[in-house]
Amino acid sequence: MYIATNTHILVAEFDYVEPTTLEEVFWHLSEHGPQARLIAGGTDLLVQMKMERKNPACLISLARVLELQGMTSNSGLTVGATASIRSLARSEPIGRHYTALAEACNAFSTIPIMVMATLGGNLCNASPAADTAPPLLAFDASVALVSRAGQRVVPLEDFFLGPGQTALRHDEVLRSVHLAESVRGAGSAFVKVARVAADISQVCAAVRVVRDGDHVIDCRIALGAVAPTPVRAHRAEAFLTGQRPDRGRVDDAARIAGEDTKPITDVRATQEYRRHASRVIVRDALTTAWLRAGGRELK
Amino acid sequence: MKPRVIHLTVNGEQREVSVSPNDLLLNVIREQEHLTGTKYGCGIGECGGCTVHIDGQPMLSCLVLAVAVDGRAIVTIEGLARNRQLDPVQEAFLDHSAVQCGFCTPGMIMMSRALLNENPRPTEHEVREFLRGCLCRCTGYVSIVRAVLAAAERGAGGEERS
Amino acid sequence: MTPAERRYMSSDELRAVGSVAWRKDGVAKVTGAEQYAPDIALSRMWYARVLRSPHAHARITRIDTSVAEALGAVCLTFADIPKVKYNERIVSTPPHLYRDRYVLADKARHVGEAVAAVAAPTEALAEKALRAIKVDYEPLQTILNAEDSMRSGAEPIHASVRLGDAEIPIENNVAVTRSIQVGDIDKGFAESEFVIEREFTTHPIYHAQMETKSVVCRPEPDEAITVWATAQSIHNVRQLLGEIYSIPLHKVNVRRVALGGTFGSSIQVNSVIPICVGLALRALRPVKLVSTREEDMYDHVRYPTNIRLRLGLKRDGTLVAGHMRAIVDIGAHNIQAFPFLGVLAGFWASLYRLPHMKYEGRAVYTNRTPSCAMQGFGAPQVTFAVESLMDEIAHELGMDPIDLKLKNYVGLGGTFWGHGPTVQSIVRSDGVPELVGLGAKKIGWKERPRPGSQTGRYRRGIGMARGFHTSGVGHPKATGAEMIDYSGAFVKINEDGSVDVVQSLMDHGGGTLEAIAKIVADELGVPLEKVGLSPVDTRTTVYDVTTHATRGVYAGGAAAQKAARKAKAILLDYASRLLGVLPEALVIEPDVRLGQGVIHCPSLADRRITVGAVAKACQVNSWGTIAAVESLRQVNCPPAYVTYFVEVEVDTDTGNVRTRRAAIGSDCGTVVNPDLAAGQLTGGLSKGAGYALIEDCRWDAQTGELLSRGFWIDGKTPSVSESPLLEDVHTDFAKTYEPSGPFGAKGLGEASTNPCAGAYANALYNALGVRFYELPVTPEKILAALQRKEPAYDARDERRTAVAPAR
Repeated sequence: MYIATNTHILVAEFDYVEPTTLEEVFWHLSEHGPQARLIAGGTDLLVQMKMERKNPACLISLARVLELQGMTSNSGLTVGATASIRSLARSEPIGRHYTALAEACNAFSTIPIMVMATLGGNLCNASPAADTAPPLLAFDASVALVSRAGQRVVPLEDFFLGPGQTALRHDEVLRSVHLAESVRGAGSAFVKVARVAADISQVCAAVRVVRDGDHVIDCRIALGAVAPTPVRAHRAEAFLTGQRPDRGRVDDAARIAGEDTKPITDVRATQEYRRHASRVIVRDALTTAWLRAGGRELK
Repeated sequence: MKPRVIHLTVNGEQREVSVSPNDLLLNVIREQEHLTGTKYGCGIGECGGCTVHIDGQPMLSCLVLAVAVDGRAIVTIEGLARNRQLDPVQEAFLDHSAVQCGFCTPGMIMMSRALLNENPRPTEHEVREFLRGCLCRCTGYVSIVRAVLAAAERGAGGEERS
Repeated sequence: MTPAERRYMSSDELRAVGSVAWRKDGVAKVTGAEQYAPDIALSRMWYARVLRSPHAHARITRIDTSVAEALGAVCLTFADIPKVKYNERIVSTPPHLYRDRYVLADKARHVGEAVAAVAAPTEALAEKALRAIKVDYEPLQTILNAEDSMRSGAEPIHASVRLGDAEIPIENNVAVTRSIQVGDIDKGFAESEFVIEREFTTHPIYHAQMETKSVVCRPEPDEAITVWATAQSIHNVRQLLGEIYSIPLHKVNVRRVALGGTFGSSIQVNSVIPICVGLALRALRPVKLVSTREEDMYDHVRYPTNIRLRLGLKRDGTLVAGHMRAIVDIGAHNIQAFPFLGVLAGFWASLYRLPHMKYEGRAVYTNRTPSCAMQGFGAPQVTFAVESLMDEIAHELGMDPIDLKLKNYVGLGGTFWGHGPTVQSIVRSDGVPELVGLGAKKIGWKERPRPGSQTGRYRRGIGMARGFHTSGVGHPKATGAEMIDYSGAFVKINEDGSVDVVQSLMDHGGGTLEAIAKIVADELGVPLEKVGLSPVDTRTTVYDVTTHATRGVYAGGAAAQKAARKAKAILLDYASRLLGVLPEALVIEPDVRLGQGVIHCPSLADRRITVGAVAKACQVNSWGTIAAVESLRQVNCPPAYVTYFVEVEVDTDTGNVRTRRAAIGSDCGTVVNPDLAAGQLTGGLSKGAGYALIEDCRWDAQTGELLSRGFWIDGKTPSVSESPLLEDVHTDFAKTYEPSGPFGAKGLGEASTNPCAGAYANALYNALGVRFYELPVTPEKILAALQRKEPAYDARDERRTAVAPAR
């Protein structure tokens, strides 16, 4: 049903608090209950509020919580939840070891949105089209969820439950994202299809392959905007792992990945187009990732 | 939803304004500070018309709560020229006729300024990447890209005056 | 030719016309100081919001505003407004003006239609009050396409409308029809050796102008009102408000503010303007109404068309006969359907000579966002159809499309139907052959691939299309006009030799007012920097119809030139008194050193005086102010020709299309603003590419809601990422001189986009060997077309099941 919105102002009324420590965040979460929402960059939540899809009674800003900031290398890479997409796009270690993530961040909407939006926000928003999700899935990322009760680490694949739905409980905060250590012989790539460059993906895919000689010894394929959540293409991964890739095998793996998608038709693309394009971009991403892993040109 | 007083630096001036939690920075700039160069275009961060610099970073004021920028420094399009001396980016936009209706111009110039602050000699590709969030329906962007490259050529890069 | 024209033609370096300078509003625009309607703020000002129908089609049975009023808001409903049925675009003459709307709806005819409005001290309170208004609706059958609408038994969208003094019934939801016949098409097709018929579908797109429709109204103590509004004509806003609210015109003052783009969507007096005035008159204080983007998207789209086109030719490529049947979905209101049906015929007839032609146009109401003019007004639609079909014919006949087009086009000496069948003029300037040659060379036309010959993933193609726009709607007949078309100007020479131009003409941003300043500067012989463009309003200016139909420079510029010429005659008369030389013996030229115009007698070297000295002497001697006011109607409407060559690269795996290169040529006569003129062309490319490939407006078939809901996330227009690299965009101007235009200038603006979609369709054919008859050509449609054409290719990719069939 038609809702007459007003994007000129924020119609919703709410309280706004700006804690500086996680402890204060937990206090506000318990004080305000499920009607409260965490806000980081705000590029998604405020839009949702303007569209009148969300109407929180209280916004708890994470912008000044130091514990959620920064990036540390420790058998992999740990990225604070409020790291901006732009900081990831410009990060030298991410560009070098997690190329697909850097590519996804660089293809993320527009520069001011990249400046404002955060990695944690992109994940907690749980859009099936979240551009950072497929590369993070490809890098076996896990998320650290903290509450007063302590911290639990959840593999990213288990974090997404549905559109806008995550494993995050309302008393919890996504503290950081951990990416597995990069290994020798790995290569990755991210490919996105959209109506125009500065747009939400019609479909996107990230791939990571680990090469030993002429063989793929490990492989991750993840897709966005093809299912209720960002998804791994397990069947295609299994198909390719242990194989000597050639064009035919890569095509077959992409076909399998495409077959396993469950896209919908919306204003951005038809279901049929998404399924078709999934296959194309998985093939393209696999080909690029293989070359980046040092593999020979596919025959 | 009680109003609260926040402190801002707007174009170098200390300001104290009373805002509600749901007041957008865009509307505070336009209606309380009477700086109407920053434009409402879409309200949802898709057009770039409301771009301002917050602590030197280009951000979309239609998606920023005013309460969230307490203590921060805001620069709007009105803050680029000093004592009637235009910023080199502004001059380049005029030299290259990169201004038609002018409604996207403030956002476009604020983005261009931000680009040159962090990358004084961008390539054409980098200019295109940086400006892709600013919609312009008049120019087809050719004159705008040319203006930004010319401003860089002229050494307009480096930190903005503040 | 006047001396000034001779001076221009001798390529005087001092001339302003053709020079490049910072635009006069430029510093204001780059510093954020320029004021657009939404930037106006007044003391005691309240904010307005509009309640819009959630139903596509519904009777309104009850509106209760009591809660809203209790919140402190002023409310406006159908019960409160004058019962004046009006048409918002008062450019057509009264006998041709179909009037079907009120300030607020008597019945909801599309989702987003204004049903009630409120004003309150803050926007937040106005919003609260708006949501407190209760409206009871009785939903009616929702009709979202023209075919369903014309079906017998379909719910009438308008039972009747007003035309002239009569209320006329509307049958089968057909708002208006037009038929035009020239020669005998039966004979023509019988004589034809090659006949082809195709159906073309063009879609509605949103104007996507950056500024949303906005208005501020201040009631004055003497029962007058002052209005600042997004408008392409301040005088038409004034006249319509005067008519609706029965206010004498001298008490309606509309002030010019800058336009943040309109692209045709404010030729009509936008629906929010009379609403805001109604609120201000009730609140008795200034009221501001700024449309939200989502409201704006529910307010106006480009006319979608279905065009069935049949052409008959001789084997040698000579066109003999044509039959066009057009169905136009006008949405919920008839803003300008009558002239639209006329221009479809007129633009068609003016592209290529057709000894025998028949045109049948029908405009149909539906429960969609009202359709209105958008850059090109019918030309993008009809040019897409004709240029696609001409390309197809050329391939069928084994001809180069350029040869076929040059053989048949309406050029020098031909009859140009500038704006439908009643507006005609003889072509007196024609740069088409020059432009076609230039473009073909720059794009590498001869080296283009053979259609459908490529097999790889990425395929390139080059396409060409040509077209034009009319320059204004002038025509030679004394009476019986369909359209009003004149401009006026007031030119005043100040006591220091500077000049005020006081003209109500609007500038979309393309540089119309810059051109005016240059034309006046050259006519008077003063430096450009000494010419000022006055801030204006309707009280202090003479009438200007509107900046539409690419008439700003050609018609508005000619009016300014006429006023300047008259002021100059007065100036020379006074100078002659002071110099003791006959006025006929004097010339004026800008003097760079003095920074003003100098009047001198070429035969008597000592007789020199500055323009300022003459004006000052006039003041000191109490001779009077040197000034003149004039109105002018152009009696011609020369075609502003444009040619397009584009090169595309298609990713046949994703269906994505990239514009690799473009060569755009314009024949706008004398180029008044070379820099801004090039900007018009590149802007035309961006908008044309968006139209051809990306943009679309779609409505939910059940609810009549926009699928985008009015959010710009889903109304994507091209960004800089979609435009070609700097070195790959070429713009060229023909070296022509239009005898009827100011200093040889004719129009440019709208022409710059008209052939673009046709060029893309032809480039895609060249790349893929497939014709596209329906816009936009999306990746989905490209994949579907490849699937049909290359089954082998399909088998590899299983596209048979992968892509929905396109028509």
